[in-house]
Amino acid sequence: MSDRRGTDTHTQLGPLAGLRILELADEKGQFCGKLLGDLGADVVKIEPPGGEPSRRIGPFLDDTPHPERSLSFWYYNTSKRGITLNLETADGRQLFERLAAASDVILETFRPGFLASLGLDYQALRKPNPGLIMCALTPFGQTGPWRDYLSSDLLHMAAGGEMASSGYDERDVPAAPPIAPGGGNAWHMGGHFAFMAIMAALVHRTVTWQGQYIDASIHEACALTTEAAIANYVYRGEVLRRQTGRHHAAGTTPRTQFRAKDGNYVCALVAGRLTPKYIGELADLLDTNGMAGDLRDPKYQDPAVIAANTSHIIDGLVADFIASQTAEEAYHAAQQRGFTWGAVRPPEALLDDPHLHDRGFWKEVEHPELGRSFVYPGEPAIYNGSPWRISRRAPLIGEHNSEIFCDELGLSRGDLVVLAENRVI
Amino acid sequence: MPQPRALENIRVVDFSWVRAGPWATRWLGAFGAEIIKIEWPESERGRLPSTTTPQDIEVNLNTSGNFNDTNVNKKSLSLNVRSAKGLEIVKRLVAVSDLVIENFSSRVLRNWGLGYEALCEIKPDIVYVSMSGYGHTGRHHHYTTFGPVAQAASGLTYLSGLPGEPPAGWGWSYMDDTGGMYGAMCALTGLYHRNMTGQGQHIDLSQMVSSVPLNGPALLDFTVNGRGSRRPGYPPGNRAHWPGTPLVNNYRGPTVAPHNAYRTDPGGYNDWCVIVCHSDEEWQRLVQVMGAPSWAASAKFATVAGRLQHQEELDQGIEAWSMTSGKYELTERCQAAGVRALPVQSAEDRVEHDPQLRHREMYLPIEHPALGMRKVQNAPFKLSETPAENRLPSPLIGQHTRQIVEDLLGYSHEELCAGFADGTFWPTKRPRFPYMEEMLR
Repeated sequence: MSDRRGTDTHTQLGPLAGLRILELADEKGQFCGKLLGDLGADVVKIEPPGGEPSRRIGPFLDDTPHPERSLSFWYYNTSKRGITLNLETADGRQLFERLAAASDVILETFRPGFLASLGLDYQALRKPNPGLIMCALTPFGQTGPWRDYLSSDLLHMAAGGEMASSGYDERDVPAAPPIAPGGGNAWHMGGHFAFMAIMAALVHRTVTWQGQYIDASIHEACALTTEAAIANYVYRGEVLRRQTGRHHAAGTTPRTQFRAKDGNYVCALVAGRLTPKYIGELADLLDTNGMAGDLRDPKYQDPAVIAANTSHIIDGLVADFIASQTAEEAYHAAQQRGFTWGAVRPPEALLDDPHLHDRGFWKEVEHPELGRSFVYPGEPAIYNGSPWRISRRAPLIGEHNSEIFCDELGLSRGDLVVLAENRVI
Repeated sequence: MPQPRALENIRVVDFSWVRAGPWATRWLGAFGAEIIKIEWPESERGRLPSTTTPQDIEVNLNTSGNFNDTNVNKKSLSLNVRSAKGLEIVKRLVAVSDLVIENFSSRVLRNWGLGYEALCEIKPDIVYVSMSGYGHTGRHHHYTTFGPVAQAASGLTYLSGLPGEPPAGWGWSYMDDTGGMYGAMCALTGLYHRNMTGQGQHIDLSQMVSSVPLNGPALLDFTVNGRGSRRPGYPPGNRAHWPGTPLVNNYRGPTVAPHNAYRTDPGGYNDWCVIVCHSDEEWQRLVQVMGAPSWAASAKFATVAGRLQHQEELDQGIEAWSMTSGKYELTERCQAAGVRALPVQSAEDRVEHDPQLRHREMYLPIEHPALGMRKVQNAPFKLSETPAENRLPSPLIGQHTRQIVEDLLGYSHEELCAGFADGTFWPTKRPRFPYMEEMLR
């Protein structure tokens, strides 16, 4: 792969190079595996024969459903190798034990107790490999009254508190329900925390060479991801209200989302910043379109006058200024003058963002079996000493079976046939 | 004997402020790293203004509840970094530290003489994580963000809302939380790499850019299929699909119905339960939990295609039933029968009513000198050998100045007193807190 900065990222190793990760994960844990793989770890994804059920999640290439065409699966499984293995067979368990003995980390998302019921619990797996780290990332963790509850992204966004904070002002959408932000972010929240825990265990292991077991909970990860909502309750007993496109709050706050000329919105944080100095800068910004109104009136040197005119300034002048141009124009005009504003963009608009191109963000990923390559989103952070990179597209079902089972574990081609016929791989 | 810590003997110089950076170092502290937070009261943002100070306690630099939760496990050094003496002290601190983390705008620390190259001369294997709005490279590196702006500009805000309405967005700075996660993830990855290779590095994290990969499937639908998110029926609120619009995946999971939030008894602001059925079998179980009402027996609800097509009627039927029970009772009945359901939970619900979070000890009290005993949020993972724990409350501003300057860096007590007198450790004209007077004895 090459990135669009033109630097050759082939020659340098990622920060996690040399680590072998076994991933036994569905939609709950595949993102965590991608985070590890894109940073250079050798992530071997172990799927049941026939492929992981998350291959059935759309959208699909050309809207043609097929386990090798799920764009969701493609995205969340970059930089991994893939093998198939049926852990519910004796042969499968034996092969898994051999792989585990030579691995650094196992990431699994089975229901609590499943691996133990197969004799593949951490205590058993670590015996031949004391440095082994095993992370179980499950909806509610390995203990507690909700341990065996079923979940989904929407369920986690409800119980985690995301929905209680997100939605609409009554004046914008009367009787609106709490809204769960989209995109599958419950799995992202769980994946981020699981990655952190695994990395902490790995850093610890560089000193002690001892592994450990990690019991990570997606519900807890989501419950931790609502900024100050918990503090508002713990310290002030407040339960916050939902407000259109802006922060939850105990009372109603001025709006921050304004409609631009092209129908897109701009997030403009103005309230709470209205000092006489700010009014002067705001006048300069609004004047770029000749729309400063009365902002240069000396009366605004008086904070009391500003306070009395908050609605005039925000709902009048700022709203009119944004309505007079496109969201992108307002965004850049404001940022160029030091205002922390942003256009509310649909994801596809990011492909046109020159800043991302400057950072070499977009990556061409080859899909050799299709004879095509596609543009994927790139790195959250630039590691200047050990590059992030997508080393390969998501694995095809069992794509690396012979590489792992034959080249690495020494099985013959004939062995592979027997395993396939017996639904082991 | 206390268990060992994962980041035993790791020292972090923490220049971060507001929320995203401090949320990152909070977790490094929970893993046992020594976090030295460099602060200056004149340019403080994070302690003040505070909307989370208890009603009966005076608002000052030491009484923000949110600051306390965000900054447990840290020590505070108050220091004017923009003085020659302050700069020298920082450099001595970096020389005995492993990691520097900061979330200023892109050129700030470099302009202070504390850029990566300068710090490498002092500590060649330093891991340096910068967390800026747009990153240190790229034409808009000087743009600034708060969470909501990063969320807007990256496409995250757009994914939340009802079709035909303005974006509902995220009701908090999701990217301050998540930006903090990435800060900690970069730090841990950099430390691992350093321990394995002996090489430090500069890691350039951008809050806005790190939001973009969270839209992966939506972006691939565009780059591969040419389909954008700006289309009828998207985003579909809490549903997997908005009835009457083309059947297109919503990037949250499988396209199924029911998949929504339903009102529950007694109909208060947060009395909602979400229910999702991933299969016909799960739907039939829900029908049984509802007491097999006659409307649910209709053939139009027997298939997923039918339930998607008749979603309005389906949701009305479910809500008529859900409104007769409380959200926790409903959850228990559904889950006992193998139906996916959970309550919408406010902060109060999570702290007081969630039996799972209680069992997992998510909120345990810690004594804070100014705020008293207060519950703080614990880690969402349990490490068997090196548990992540909150052992220290958030520091009072400058609370550990003497300890760091004298005990760690070896300055004399006279030098500490001189530094207070000349404005290195506290603005000369600003009243000192009583614990600072104590420090100077």
